[in-house]
Amino acid sequence: MTVPISPIDPLATGPAALAPAGTGNRTEGAGTAFASSFASALDDLDAAHKATDELARAAATGDLRSVEDLMIASTETQLATQLTVAVRNRALESFNEIMRMQL
Amino acid sequence: MRITPFSSLGAPASGMRVYQTWIDALADNVANISTINPAGEPAFQERYVHARAAGGGLREAIGLGGRGSIGSGAYVAGAEFGDPEGRMVYQPDHPYADENGMVRMPDMDLSTQMTNLIIAQRAYQANVTVFERARDSYLRALEIGR
Repeated sequence: MTVPISPIDPLATGPAALAPAGTGNRTEGAGTAFASSFASALDDLDAAHKATDELARAAATGDLRSVEDLMIASTETQLATQLTVAVRNRALESFNEIMRMQL
Repeated sequence: MRITPFSSLGAPASGMRVYQTWIDALADNVANISTINPAGEPAFQERYVHARAAGGGLREAIGLGGRGSIGSGAYVAGAEFGDPEGRMVYQPDHPYADENGMVRMPDMDLSTQMTNLIIAQRAYQANVTVFERARDSYLRALEIGR
């Protein structure tokens, strides 16, 4: 059964945290590109979770049309969540690596 | 079909739906295996499932059809119905019997239906296995560099 998670707010934490505000340096373009694509990936993930939640609700209320639909959706959502978390961990790792750089 | 990074899950998922539909059709046939109709009415028609390869055609199969041509699975294109003629059976005591004592029964035999049921069940299980293998592969891929 899918554990409902609270919706993720992508824009508040994503681009604002990753793109340095008001510096206008050359990396800003690349930074915002990653931030916006990651934010849209989070939006997709949120949509997948909502779809799976809908199927789980249908299973609980007896409206589920076929069992495999729920299992397929929950497996896909599980994989998508793990992929997003892996990308997030790698991005954070890179950021920390840069922050540790000797100046 | 939705674009997903986990494309190998789509084909076995569609196969599961196809075989689910076939099991439904076979259940219909078995449920009506001895449904009797009056001689003047059509018999119960055997249910067939019309399955097609999704995004089929040779051009697409060899990769010229663009995105989604391989790994798009199967789908149920529709249902076909058997002969409404059925077969006439001599049952003179039956309330539906005509003046010659004949009633109409569907022209199906149980052994064929049960054999198809085993095939459908095994094929469904095979699709589940493919799905699980694909999921395990993706989980392994997510562990790269961890």
